[in-house]
Amino acid sequence: MKFSLAVLLLLATAAILPGQTPATPKLHASAIQIELVEVGDVSIPAEFRYAIYERLIEQVRDSRKFDKVFRSGDKAAASVPDLVTLHTSVEAFTEGSQMKRELAPVVVGSTKVDVTTQVTDKAGKTILTEKVAGKVRIFGENLGATNDLAKRITKLLVASF
Amino acid sequence: MKPNVLLAILMGVGAALAQQPDQPPNVRHVIGLDKIKRNANGHLTIQNGVMQFTAKKTEARVPASSIEDIFVGTETTQGGGTAGRVVKTAAMAAPFGSGKALTLLMRTKVDILTVVYRGADGGVHGVILALPKGLAETTRTQLVAAGAHTSAPQPELKDRTKP
Repeated sequence: MKFSLAVLLLLATAAILPGQTPATPKLHASAIQIELVEVGDVSIPAEFRYAIYERLIEQVRDSRKFDKVFRSGDKAAASVPDLVTLHTSVEAFTEGSQMKRELAPVVVGSTKVDVTTQVTDKAGKTILTEKVAGKVRIFGENLGATNDLAKRITKLLVASF
Repeated sequence: MKPNVLLAILMGVGAALAQQPDQPPNVRHVIGLDKIKRNANGHLTIQNGVMQFTAKKTEARVPASSIEDIFVGTETTQGGGTAGRVVKTAAMAAPFGSGKALTLLMRTKVDILTVVYRGADGGVHGVILALPKGLAETTRTQLVAAGAHTSAPQPELKDRTKP
């Protein structure tokens, strides 16, 4: 009886273990270049597009994960051998209303930006892809969604590098 | 006697206001100028081919010739600056949701000016400024006259926000 129980336990452990994801090895890069946000066919005001870009630069710099953070078009980036590039493309955008958010007793008027964020190496090979969303649910300006988004993308970069 | 004094005061105030030199409008820096803090209030001037933003003792200068695009938008936001934010946060605790009335009273419509320029190293910068309503289009025209480039002319400025 005891033997059967031990076998059962062993089998259960074996069944659980493959389900656990092995720790993914961290990526390495000394510098990152942040490209302008691609909007494609999505209708998004220009200030949101550039606010995401600027806040990403600010947040990634503040994280101190990379020795250098280059802006899109910076010529100095070309000389860095292990440079990675961050691409962000907007998938969906919902502009809410700050007044509705603050007046309504339920969550209405949220502003939301959905993006696909991609990191490529110097050869252009994608080394990281993830869908991220930035929101402002209750307090704050609509542009606050760009700050939330930049924080989430930076968190992803910090976890991956 | 009293009405005369009142009239004199009113005339004095009127004269003082009329004598004030043309002050540049108060502008809020949302993001994008490296030396300037986020949400700092300051003055925006365009002189000698340079866009200059001054907030207290710090200033940021962008040559108009380096500007590649300018966008104009509108936003309905909360007025009153930092003090307004503090008052509103405190009022949120007021009973029966009466603080919410402040939300209605403190609405302000602003113009949003997005200026895209290229730095000396080739890097792209996006400066976002909140201006008093109606001033963004004038500023855009002034920047173009000073040598700034823009892509296709913007469609008629329309209220995009849902206040």
